[in-house]
Amino acid sequence: HKQIPGVSSGCQQGGCLTCSDYNGCLSCKPRFFMHLERIGMKQIGVCMTSCPPGFYGTRSPERNTCTKCRSECDSCFNKNFCTRCRAGFYLHLGKCQENCPEGLARSDTQRECVS
Amino acid sequence: RIQERQGSAAPPCPSPCQCEEDGIFVMVDCSELGLSSVPTNLSPLTTYLDLSMNNISEIQPRAFHRLHLLSELRISGNQLRYISGHALQGLHNLKVLMLQNNQLERLPDDAPWDLPNLLSLRLDANLLSEVPAGAFRGVRSLRHLWLDDNSLTEIPVTALDSLPSLQAMTLALNQITHIPDYAFTNLSALVVLHLHNNKIQSMDARCFEGLHSLETLDLNYNDLQEFPVAIRTLSKLQELGFHNNNIKAIPERAFVGNPQLQTIHFYENPIQSVGKSAFQFLPKLHTLSLNGATQIQEFPDLKGTTSLEILTLTRAGLSALPLDLCEQLPRLRVLELSYNQIEDLPSFYHCSALQEIGLQHNQIRRIELSTFQQLVSLRALDLSWNMIEWIHPDAFTSLHSLIKLDLTENCLSSVPVAGLGGLTHLKLRGNTELYEAFSPDHFPRMRVIEMPYAYQCCVYGSCDSYKPASQWDTEQSNTDEDLHKRTVAMYPIHADAHYDPDLEEFQLEIEESKLQTSVQCTPTPGPFRPCDSLLG
Repeated sequence: HKQIPGVSSGCQQGGCLTCSDYNGCLSCKPRFFMHLERIGMKQIGVCMTSCPPGFYGTRSPERNTCTKCRSECDSCFNKNFCTRCRAGFYLHLGKCQENCPEGLARSDTQRECVS
Repeated sequence: RIQERQGSAAPPCPSPCQCEEDGIFVMVDCSELGLSSVPTNLSPLTTYLDLSMNNISEIQPRAFHRLHLLSELRISGNQLRYISGHALQGLHNLKVLMLQNNQLERLPDDAPWDLPNLLSLRLDANLLSEVPAGAFRGVRSLRHLWLDDNSLTEIPVTALDSLPSLQAMTLALNQITHIPDYAFTNLSALVVLHLHNNKIQSMDARCFEGLHSLETLDLNYNDLQEFPVAIRTLSKLQELGFHNNNIKAIPERAFVGNPQLQTIHFYENPIQSVGKSAFQFLPKLHTLSLNGATQIQEFPDLKGTTSLEILTLTRAGLSALPLDLCEQLPRLRVLELSYNQIEDLPSFYHCSALQEIGLQHNQIRRIELSTFQQLVSLRALDLSWNMIEWIHPDAFTSLHSLIKLDLTENCLSSVPVAGLGGLTHLKLRGNTELYEAFSPDHFPRMRVIEMPYAYQCCVYGSCDSYKPASQWDTEQSNTDEDLHKRTVAMYPIHADAHYDPDLEEFQLEIEESKLQTSVQCTPTPGPFRPCDSLLG
């Protein structure tokens, strides 16, 4: 999938509230997620409607933040619940494991435990 | 990229989008292009389509009817108010649908979206005030549902009945005030439920019936008046949060139905009383924090809660600790019991993993030999603001890892130094009967030390240019000779007449000595706090 969906850098981004050409978004419009994207040595502020792959979003009245999923997850719902696993891991009820529970088989294409 | 190979058999790429080949399939990115409608000439071989952050306010009927292979569709960040069932016709293989950050006010009811393979549906950050009963009849395979940051005032109970495969859902940041009985009765596969930042005041006793797989329940930032006893049916619950609510009491056997609990967050509640048996039989609980529960008079009975590592019980009414505390809590690493009325301490002998103990602001008078024996991992011990008069000479001998000891504001006239060789921080301020000037040799690694009196800091060379008051008054000039006198007064070792320090070399030496043995000792001696003890 596309690495960073729907985002251009610097101040041209649609979700920015305040920004600088050097650091990108400094704050986001309401309901957007703020994420610090590392580009070389720099960190660019990016405002997005969904966090990049490998991160999950947490909404709160004050701000919306992106937090890294567990290392074995490609994508997740929160820090304890994966929605897609990294290669070599298999998803079952939100957990990415190297083996599947008894009675389920490992599907490499879906990276899931399937019956 | 598709554009460069437009002539060959590559699937067409709608301008001005960007396309990327994925084997015979194609991934299309039309994000942030100012589009006002869905491109029409999309290839049937499209598996990924990103239309996010455009100005699309309507999806024309059958816009995606040829995209049978589409797996992921992103239309977030547009101005969509409504999407009919017909608009999404043909998306038989869609797995991920992102509609967050739009203006959706309602969902189709009688002719709902027909997405039989949909796994993830994002509807967060819209304007939904309700979810019609039939809204999810066509997405029965759904696993992950985001409805947070909308205007829902009720749990969409009937609509949720259509989702037997749902595993994770967030209804956070809405206006929900009550959870009725059997609200989630068909969600037997639900593992995660977020309800934080609503206005939930009450919950019926059977509201969580049916949630046989629930592991995470987030009720933080609501207006709960009572402890959520409805959690009793959640036998798989591992993580529970109800901090920032208005709960005043935790009942007896509060978590009897939740033996798998690992974390419970309930700070920022006006909790006054806690049932003595409330936290029993939680063998996986590793953290328990109770602050300000002033009506707690007795230490909770933690029978069967054997994995506790962090116990914080501050600002309560404890006057004593159970003698078998460490037998119940053998894995304790942090014990924080400040701001109670504890007088006598048991032996913490069996708490061999203890690293931090906070007992400040209690009424402790004595430290016995056995109190802290064998706590070989203890790093920080705070006994400040007590009434300690006596410490057994060998009380600290086995504390090989201790680096911070705070005995501020006690009634000590002496402090045993045996076993304290590893200290980097020692605080003794406020022990007005303690006159002894401890030799630096006792504390080879000391960095910060607070003493009752300034003169006790002189052994740490903190006297710098301050001489006894009488000498300071008569010689106020700053000639080189005067500098020489002050040097001799300050550093007797330079007293031999032949030493004639070059000023620059001398200043270098001062800087170096500061780096090597710079122990910050307070109070710093000064004109009114001379090095010599006023008492001779």
